[in-house]
Amino acid sequence: MLSTLLTAASLLLVPTLAVFADEAWNVDYHFALLGAPKEETSFFHQPNPSSRASLIYTLSEQHALGAVNPRDGSLVWRQLLSSDGIAYRNSFLRAGEGQDVVISGVGHEVAAWSAADGRLVWSLSTEGPLEDVEILELSDGKETAGAKDAIALSSGANPTVQRIDGASGAVKWQFIIDGSDAPYQLSASSTQIFAILIHKTILGYVKLRVVVLDRVTGHKVDEYSLSSENELSTTENIVSVGANSASPMIAWTDSLYTTLKVNVVGMKSMQSFDIASHDDSPIEHVKVHAPYHVNSLSHFLVHYQTATSHWADVFHINLKNGKVEKAYSLPKLAGRGAFSTSTSDANVYFTRVTRDEITTVSSASHGVLGRWPLNTFGVVAGIGEQVEPIHAASEVSVKGDTVSAIRTTILLSTGDWVMLRDGKGIWNRPEMLASTMVVTFALPADAAALVQQLEVEAHSNPVAAYAHRVQRHLADLQRLPSIIVSLPQQIVKGFLGTSADDLTASDTFGFRQVIVCATREGRLVALDAGSPDKIVWNVNVADLQPGQSWEPYLASRIAGVVEVSSRAGAGIQYNATNGQPLAERLPVVPEGPQVPSSQVVLYTVHDGTLEASYNRTPAWAFTPMHGERLIDMVPRPVNDPVASIGKVLGDRRVLYKYLDSNIALLVTAQDSMGTANIYVLSTVSGAIIYSNVHTGVDLTIPIASIMSENWFAYSFTNEASDEASKGHQLVVGELFESLVPDDRGMMGATTNFSGMQTATEPFVLTQTYQIPEVISKLAVTRTRQGITSRQLLAVLPDSNGIVGIPYGAVDPRRPVNRDPTKDEQAEGLVRYTAVLEFDPKWFLNHQREIVGVKNVFTSPALIESTSLVFAYGLDIFGTRLSPSFSFDILGKDFNKLQMLATVAALAVATFIVAPLVMRKQVDQRWRFL
Amino acid sequence: MALTLSAPPPRWLEDLSSGPVTTKTKQSFPDPLGYQVASRQQKSSSNKTVAHPRKQPTADEMDTLKLKKAWELALAPAKQLPMNAIGMYMTGNSLQIFSIMMVFMLFKGPIQAVLNIQNTFQRLETDTNRQQMLAVKAAFVGCNLLALALGIWKVNGMGLLPTTRSDWLAWESAREPLERAYFVPT
Repeated sequence: MLSTLLTAASLLLVPTLAVFADEAWNVDYHFALLGAPKEETSFFHQPNPSSRASLIYTLSEQHALGAVNPRDGSLVWRQLLSSDGIAYRNSFLRAGEGQDVVISGVGHEVAAWSAADGRLVWSLSTEGPLEDVEILELSDGKETAGAKDAIALSSGANPTVQRIDGASGAVKWQFIIDGSDAPYQLSASSTQIFAILIHKTILGYVKLRVVVLDRVTGHKVDEYSLSSENELSTTENIVSVGANSASPMIAWTDSLYTTLKVNVVGMKSMQSFDIASHDDSPIEHVKVHAPYHVNSLSHFLVHYQTATSHWADVFHINLKNGKVEKAYSLPKLAGRGAFSTSTSDANVYFTRVTRDEITTVSSASHGVLGRWPLNTFGVVAGIGEQVEPIHAASEVSVKGDTVSAIRTTILLSTGDWVMLRDGKGIWNRPEMLASTMVVTFALPADAAALVQQLEVEAHSNPVAAYAHRVQRHLADLQRLPSIIVSLPQQIVKGFLGTSADDLTASDTFGFRQVIVCATREGRLVALDAGSPDKIVWNVNVADLQPGQSWEPYLASRIAGVVEVSSRAGAGIQYNATNGQPLAERLPVVPEGPQVPSSQVVLYTVHDGTLEASYNRTPAWAFTPMHGERLIDMVPRPVNDPVASIGKVLGDRRVLYKYLDSNIALLVTAQDSMGTANIYVLSTVSGAIIYSNVHTGVDLTIPIASIMSENWFAYSFTNEASDEASKGHQLVVGELFESLVPDDRGMMGATTNFSGMQTATEPFVLTQTYQIPEVISKLAVTRTRQGITSRQLLAVLPDSNGIVGIPYGAVDPRRPVNRDPTKDEQAEGLVRYTAVLEFDPKWFLNHQREIVGVKNVFTSPALIESTSLVFAYGLDIFGTRLSPSFSFDILGKDFNKLQMLATVAALAVATFIVAPLVMRKQVDQRWRFL
Repeated sequence: MALTLSAPPPRWLEDLSSGPVTTKTKQSFPDPLGYQVASRQQKSSSNKTVAHPRKQPTADEMDTLKLKKAWELALAPAKQLPMNAIGMYMTGNSLQIFSIMMVFMLFKGPIQAVLNIQNTFQRLETDTNRQQMLAVKAAFVGCNLLALALGIWKVNGMGLLPTTRSDWLAWESAREPLERAYFVPT
């Protein structure tokens, strides 16, 4: 009976699945992120030389190049310069004065981008990795006005200096530097180009070698070494190499930061300055802040930072005689400080950002031109955590002797990138989320309490459950006064149709789950899936030193509690609602429901081999064949509820699913042969229950795989060959206990089985679909009880989107080479077509561009129809999905007003008609015939 | 007051006392059967001998008659069967409000009839034909069962009978694995 209804219902469901227009910008959310901006590649710049309006340009640590509107923090344009996730050591971003292009250098590629819209103007590949990119400013007057040329220094086998034409990207000249010294940086003056190289002495010290080149011809003019003696042990002690004639100096310190040595580029002499020690803690780093514009005064600021305080000295360079002299000092202040340099005509201004104020001074004198107190940066941080500025970039507008307005972007220690205008927060970009590594969903603590209560009621006898429920409701009565107070407001909201998303305290649908992200910087950041615009909490958990990394593992085994561990084992638990660490440690249990009767097999990937242990003894190992490497291993999710153990056919017979909790999908690749091997493994016995080989696979393109319920899916790209053209394929396989309907396979109706003793093999149906583009990651929707049909979520890196493919569209049981029979039609199966086009309606991101997604995490909501989706990587994207439509919740299209009007009209009609009917009935009684 | 006394009696009183006026000037068509005008009755009764009242049937005849009637009643549901069957066939096997209502009526009718079987045959049952009536009742029940069978056939056609494996799928549970394997990330 039920099955027929379900079949009938499923027929209704199949035709279209789409993002509805009224949901499009409401249920989904998106942060278009860049990643943490780097100090030297973040600046204000006018995209159009004729206008005063400037944008903020940045090249982030994730190698995302973008322009941000300083007014509201929105992204104007963005280019991802390293799509494959390779972290390059160096990245450069330069903007010439009065230029409408910005020039980036990442890896082996120098590229010029239109500053206004981010279009590529030209790009050039260098032989070796780039060491520096600079722009040659027009100061000799010989060059024509227009695009300024760029110079690039690359290392590798033949360290080269190249001058690149600013308009076309062609190489004007190149000079190959002889010797084995490592190229370090470039500096340009009005007539010459200086290539600074690192020469390693026999004693292990570092010497600076300067090669002087002619600007126009590229010929070597001179070469000399700086006698840094034995002070420089590593390049880390080189504080700064000025880029152009605004800051023509090389500065370094000794390893203990006691003296600062400055050499004016082009001179062989150097000057040394003692670094005064202001407090007991040692200096952590020294930074030089110098103006970039050529025609500004050659003044620079040296910033000294200790663990507890910071101060700075300002130096002036006399370009005539090459003398550097200290002008003044900025006093010591507690905490970290950030300095930024801005120019106005020839004047140079230094802006200092500390915990509690912003001050601006001129480079010429120490008088404070502007001071703005800071109460707060307006970001969420851990309790007791001091938010510190890491680095800043400023734009000042000067009227007379005072700074009339200042705009400062600051990267904070919390990872937020904020904009302050005259000391007031304007916007805040949560750039720390761009480095999210792992994610988990957790119920808020209050919702978790309700879920626990419901669990108690579900698992006790009816009488006790009833008593418990009555008690719970009595306890709930205590909240009645507050509810009554808020009732009118709620009713009004209900009328206006905003009730689905309002921030009421209780969340009966489970949409307002806490999403906890662990970032690469060792922080835990929590978002509310119901109101994702703001960060709920943000705590530092790992306390990583620079250069350190961690491999976090997040889980929420107990509702309302998030556990983070860096390795498998005991972790620290946090309250999901407020991010407070929990005092008592709860025992660490393997993920998922603990079945006391079952024995636990633990398996892990170790050196490309899958190793399992049972009772602490090795049970089995899966070693890929010689020459094969393990690409991916996807176990079936531990908590993967399945509502129906069989598939109901059109004639109401049943095809039983092969449901084994202990299966995993393995993908291995053999690079020499270009083959990809797919295995489905029983993770208890280690037996291979299904395997497949694909030849001619392009292994440079990611192979995405997923396993859920009784089916698996993977996608790969096959290379062009004689038989087939290059194309992307999606393979879906479904495991059945038997292909004969109404047959439960070998084991029949036994209620339990041991994977070690009985070996069963599933019957596997697979189907291959040709898809239009690469899938970099696959995920699947998850719902609370597994009744709702599934949707396969595929990340499309080429079109910057995520597509939700209904499982029915890729069902391996679609009839091949014939039309479906009536029974198959009743099941919703359509004729197999080899090409699977991604229906535009399947795109979850609709108009949004989701860049750099690495993974998609799904979690069930409290209502069965809905699954929460969270994609992360560079961008953050989240939405709610109802693969079988929202059958258990009223949608936005439900017109409450119309319903109420109908009820009211009916009530009025009843009141009017009732006396009429009464009279008529009485009359009828009195009539004889 | 004097005026009212002298007034003629009301019309209805006249009508009641005088009876219908039979003006038989030219009667071209006969009276309907069994219609007797009082005056004519008197006339005919004076003319002819007293008309014999219909002869009362004997008890035996009465029994036979009642039995005949009973059989008629008993077989009535069977006569409706073909029409019902056609109706059911025409409505199709889809689940719609009309077909559901018709199926409901199809079930309600026979069941109610069987429950009211005593009432139905009470008038026709006598002490003497009780034996024969048993057969009649059996036939009545049988005919209703046929109608019921038609209903069941229809319900089966609509797929509402739990006769297939899929209908019991919800009561089947997945096999519990004795071991659980957990992936431990390194």
